[in-house]
Amino acid sequence: MSQVALRDRSAFERLYRATSAHLLGVAFRILGNRDRAEEVLQEAFMNVWNSAGGYNPGVATPMTWLINIVRNKAIDAVRSGKTERSSTVALDDEGMDVADADGLQPQELLDESLVKVNIDRCMSELNASQRQALALAYYRGMVHTDIAAALNAPLGTAKAWVRRGLDKLKSCLEAAGVTA
Amino acid sequence: MNYLLPERLDRLAREYALGTMTGRPKRRFEKLLRDSPQASRAVAAWQERFSVLAAGVPAMQPREQVWNGLEQRLFAPTKPAASRGPLQWLWDLLSVRTLGSALAGIFLCVIVLRSQPGLVGLETPSEALPASYVGLLLDANGKPTVLANSRRHGRQMTVKVLQPVAVPEGKVAQLWAFPAGASAFPVAVLPRLPAVKESVSFTLPDESEKLFSNVGRLAVSIDDAPARPGEAPPPAFALSGHCVKLW
Repeated sequence: MSQVALRDRSAFERLYRATSAHLLGVAFRILGNRDRAEEVLQEAFMNVWNSAGGYNPGVATPMTWLINIVRNKAIDAVRSGKTERSSTVALDDEGMDVADADGLQPQELLDESLVKVNIDRCMSELNASQRQALALAYYRGMVHTDIAAALNAPLGTAKAWVRRGLDKLKSCLEAAGVTA
Repeated sequence: MNYLLPERLDRLAREYALGTMTGRPKRRFEKLLRDSPQASRAVAAWQERFSVLAAGVPAMQPREQVWNGLEQRLFAPTKPAASRGPLQWLWDLLSVRTLGSALAGIFLCVIVLRSQPGLVGLETPSEALPASYVGLLLDANGKPTVLANSRRHGRQMTVKVLQPVAVPEGKVAQLWAFPAGASAFPVAVLPRLPAVKESVSFTLPDESEKLFSNVGRLAVSIDDAPARPGEAPPPAFALSGHCVKLW
C-alpha cells in the first residue's frame, strides 16, 4: 500500500490482482449485477490510486480499508438508484450463470463467514430473525426500513434485531480474541 | 448532545460503519468524524469487525476489461485533439507562438513552476499537473520539431509533431537518452510519426521514472535499424533537446 501511495503502478496492479476478485464478490452481493459491480470496483480502485496516501496502517488493515471503500460505493450505487435499470431488464446469460453458480443467500454468507472466523457457535445464540437482519444489513446494504419490509416486521423490531446482532458479533469476536 | 460518550459513540459508529445510518444523522456524524479522532477510531474498530463478515463471500474474478479501463482512465496519455488535458496549455503555447529556441520553452516551464508552486502538489489530484517528463526536440536549425512527454510513473510516451520529420522508407527514428554522468542509451524506436500538430503514443520499455530520472537530454537519430541495448549512439542526430521534469 505504501508503494501505491508513492504512485508505483506495478504495486497498484499487484494490489488489484491480489484483491479484486474478493472485492468484486463483496460488491456483487450488494448490487446483484456483475456489470454494475465491476463499475463500482473500477471506481473504487480509482479512489485507491488517488487516496492511497491517506491510508493509515495503524487504523485498519489494507483489506479492511479496501472492503470499506468498495462496500460504501456499492451501497451508494444501490441507494442512488443506479441499479434501477438492471432490475427492470431481463438478466443476460452471464447474469443467469452467476446466479446459478453461486446463489448464496445473505444468511448463508453469514454462516460461511462465521465458520471461517470460528465464531459460529457463539453467534448461534442469536435467533434466525436476528441473524437474518444482520445479514441483510451487511451483505445487501439494507437500511432498517428495508430490513423491516423484507422480513415483514415492524421497524422497531427490525432495529432491535440488528442491534442485537451487532452486540453479539462484538462480544463473540472479543471472546475469540479477535480485537478491533 | 454529547456524541462522544463511549456507549453512544459506539452505537453511532457501528450504524455508520454498517451503512444503516442515513440522511441528516449520517451527515452530522460525518462532521463529527472530521473533527474527532475518537469517532474515527470507533468507526475503524467496527469496520475491522465487519471485515470478518466478508470472509465467506465467494470471490468473483473481474473481467480483464475492468483493469484495462482502470489503466485507460488513470494512465492513458492525454489526447490533445479530443479534449483539453492537463498539458493542453503547453500544446497551445507551442501551437500559437513561434518559439525561438528550446530554452524559451524550458525557461517558461521553470518560471511557471517557480511562480506557482501550487501546481505541483497543493491542488487536488484532478486539478494538478501530472508529474511528467517533457522533452522538446529541435532540428538542426534549432526549430522546435517534436514534443515528447510521459507521466513520471507511466510507461506511455506521447510525441507531438510540431514540424515535419523526414524518416525515409526503410529507416527508423531511434530515440536516445543522455543521463548525466553515464553513457547514452537507446530508449525506443518511435512509431510512424503523424502529421504536424498530431500526436502518437507508444509504450516505453520501462517506467519513465526509471528511464529518465537522471536524463537531461533526448535525441532522435535516423538509422537503418533499431539500436541494440548497449549500442553507442551515432555521432549526429536529426533532433535533439532538453528533457525536463515537470513536477
